[in-house]
Amino acid sequence: MSLLVVDNVTLRFGGVAALDGVATEIGRGEIRGIIGPNGSGKTTLLNAICGIHRPDAGEIRLDGEKLTGLKPSEIARRGLGRTFQTSQLFRGMTVLENMICGLHRRTTTGLLAAGLRLRSARAEEAETVERARAALDFVGMGAFADRPASALSFGQQRVVEIARTLIGEPKIVLLDEPAVGLSLNRVAEFDALLRRIRDEKGVTLVLVEHVIRLVMEISDRITVLNSGRKIAEGKPVEVRNNPEVIEAYLGKELRARRAAS
Amino acid sequence: MPVFSRRNVLLVLLAGALILPWMGNPYTLFVGTLLFIYVLLAVGLNLLVGYAGQLAFANAAMFGIGAYTTGLLQVRLELPFFAAFPCGAVVATLVGLVISLPALRLSGLYLALTTLAFAQATQWVFLHWENVTFGAGGFKTPLISFAPLPVETPTGLYFLSLLLAVLLTLFAWNVAASRIGRAFVAIRDGEVAAESLGIDLLRYKALAFAMSGFYAGVAGGLYSALLNFVAPEGFDLFQMVLHKAMIVVGGLGSVTGSLLGAGILVFLLEALRAFKGTQEIAFGALLLVFVIFLRGGLVSVLKRNARGWEEPLRLPERRARLLARPGTASVPGE
Amino acid sequence: MLFSYLLVSGITTGALYALIALGIVIVNKASGVINFAHGELLMVAGFVAWTLHVGLQLPYGVALLGTVAIGFAVGVLTDRIAFRPLANADLVSLVLATVGLSFILKGTARLIWGGKADYLSFPPLTQAEPILLGPLMIIPQQLVVTAGALAVMIAFAAFFRLTTAGKMMQATADNAKAAKLVGIRTDRVYMMAFAVGSLIAAAAAVLMAPLTLLYPDMGFLLFVKGFAAAVVGGLTSLPGAVLGGILVGVVESLAGGYIHSSAMEVAPFLVIMAVLIVRPTGLLDFAKVRRV
Repeated sequence: MSLLVVDNVTLRFGGVAALDGVATEIGRGEIRGIIGPNGSGKTTLLNAICGIHRPDAGEIRLDGEKLTGLKPSEIARRGLGRTFQTSQLFRGMTVLENMICGLHRRTTTGLLAAGLRLRSARAEEAETVERARAALDFVGMGAFADRPASALSFGQQRVVEIARTLIGEPKIVLLDEPAVGLSLNRVAEFDALLRRIRDEKGVTLVLVEHVIRLVMEISDRITVLNSGRKIAEGKPVEVRNNPEVIEAYLGKELRARRAAS
Repeated sequence: MPVFSRRNVLLVLLAGALILPWMGNPYTLFVGTLLFIYVLLAVGLNLLVGYAGQLAFANAAMFGIGAYTTGLLQVRLELPFFAAFPCGAVVATLVGLVISLPALRLSGLYLALTTLAFAQATQWVFLHWENVTFGAGGFKTPLISFAPLPVETPTGLYFLSLLLAVLLTLFAWNVAASRIGRAFVAIRDGEVAAESLGIDLLRYKALAFAMSGFYAGVAGGLYSALLNFVAPEGFDLFQMVLHKAMIVVGGLGSVTGSLLGAGILVFLLEALRAFKGTQEIAFGALLLVFVIFLRGGLVSVLKRNARGWEEPLRLPERRARLLARPGTASVPGE
Repeated sequence: MLFSYLLVSGITTGALYALIALGIVIVNKASGVINFAHGELLMVAGFVAWTLHVGLQLPYGVALLGTVAIGFAVGVLTDRIAFRPLANADLVSLVLATVGLSFILKGTARLIWGGKADYLSFPPLTQAEPILLGPLMIIPQQLVVTAGALAVMIAFAAFFRLTTAGKMMQATADNAKAAKLVGIRTDRVYMMAFAVGSLIAAAAAVLMAPLTLLYPDMGFLLFVKGFAAAVVGGLTSLPGAVLGGILVGVVESLAGGYIHSSAMEVAPFLVIMAVLIVRPTGLLDFAKVRRV
């Protein structure tokens, strides 16, 4: 059975269909790339899946459970992680504290236990710190644990953000343009990191990305969106040679060139 | 541990506070009690504004609700202080919870203005619901007694306030260094990211509002007992700015900062007591100057220049465990 | 009879609230900030007018011009002190800075013009008898004030439509980035917004002074009423601010007449809370602060 099912999802913003009957199924352990020209609805699709937007029609299911209509935090607690286009680390925290926040849904300490520093609270806290350090080591950021999050470079913030999402052991992680702004050799490192995440942690990854090279190299399957509609889906090679995809990308480029001249 | 660490400095101050009743005069006792009350207010407000980032202006109103509830239950229903006082705190907490409902739908300026409007509506109720609140003139509350304990009222109230201020400050420190404090800061620094990690906005905003309501309610009950008198003007805009100035001067997002801010502002408040206009200029200017020139408040200076003043958002680890961890090799993305 | 009287006086105060709301809206439109010191600007202007007119015995028209000029200058100062240093700061800082400023103004006024219970009064503009128009009773003073407010609004609209400065403000409000690209100095525009907002507040203060008493604490209430009006009008719409002002004035006047005089004070707060809680999505201008 597929892990994530997007079942004919339609989403309108004031009459304009940002998503128009999009349907796809993502299998367990898959790395799925989602590509498409600007404004084709990629980020909107991610937002619909993680509950920021509520679809006007259609349904989204994770592991057979309906997600549509739940709050983003409830969806996150059901095992769906997410990173964003711009860095969303909490700037007022250290790297380690950011990581511990990723374990929020795995911890249970309540107000009184926390405020009175009961033994249970201390034990849980010690365990989360332990796990957070281990997770930072996994992505090679252990040495930065006690730095303020705002002191990290752009690429480091990206990595920590992904690690923060992973630490809560989600079933699936949606990554929104994780490689944007990274230099080319960083992209290669990133590629390796994402594969390790899938292989060693068994996490399913959904990747919206502009860096086509990364998507082509890493994805098992690719979904192509254009104007809110799915126009192609398949293995990278298949998608690369699909005439409709070429038209969607090149057509746009040609029009842009014509407008510029 | 450095000599001038936060813990050592505060322990010395606490020791001073414990012997003050035998050293000072009635006036210093009064100011001391007032300081503890403002510590409670500043700590509670900082949890809401500094940690959770909710720009709310209802703190003075919740302070007033605590004071009015405590006072009125004694006067109208003849409850003893020690029964009325917890009720005041509970009512203020509940009001805090109610205010948190609009906070879910509103943010930024809209939240600021809704809570400000709520604060003014509360003032209006204090002023005009005369059958219950006695109107603009206010009312006297009974002198509280600590019998059978062998202490006089001012001394008893001083120690009660000190005890509550210490306990609730410790509580706030612990909460700030727990998953709850981190959830507050996460909501402040990025609501969407916080939600994506499974942090429930409704729950934690409500909790922050309720906690600040509780702290303000406790402070209100003590304040009514300290002054022996409750009137609307004790909980007006001036109080609002006073509380805000405390947490900004001390440091937003720092419980320690609340203590510093409360100390400095209470001192100024008393030094300038005779001149309301000067007080307003001083507090307004402090607010403005700190917001512009020292965003982190005084505590940020201490954190930068002295050891032992850090306030991590987690419990301190055993040092041994820290040392035992080997450094890591590869660092991508730098 | 009672209704028509309340209606007319509601429209008069409403016209003044509309001026306050206009000042709030213009600052908000240009800079995205609500100036919490707006009411205090008005209060200070009222006292300045009193000093010029009653203290120095200058004619009302001269006092009006002088006050408006000083209002303009105070607005420029507000921008310099409480807004420009915080151009890149978060909302909490900006709001707290204007709150701080409001208290500085209030304290200064208290030191210069009197203690807490001191009320200064302004002589009436005209002593003429009320005019009866069928069922309508119109007090000439109200007529003069309403006409004055109307004149300020017209001058303001003309400024926006016809002058370069006004057009630049409009362009910046619509799209600050684009305005910057075409060479508009947006920091100048922000300063102009604060200055013009404050100038209108000063004009409102001088018009209002003969109808009310002056005291240092008057600013906040006026700010809240102006803000309620601005919220009703959608916070970025200038005509909306005018309609909202008149609506708040009339509602307040009717509530005072038919319910209880004290209801007048609380009506604008209830309007703010109700509008914001019931229809926050209709007023979404700031909501983008929330979403990434």
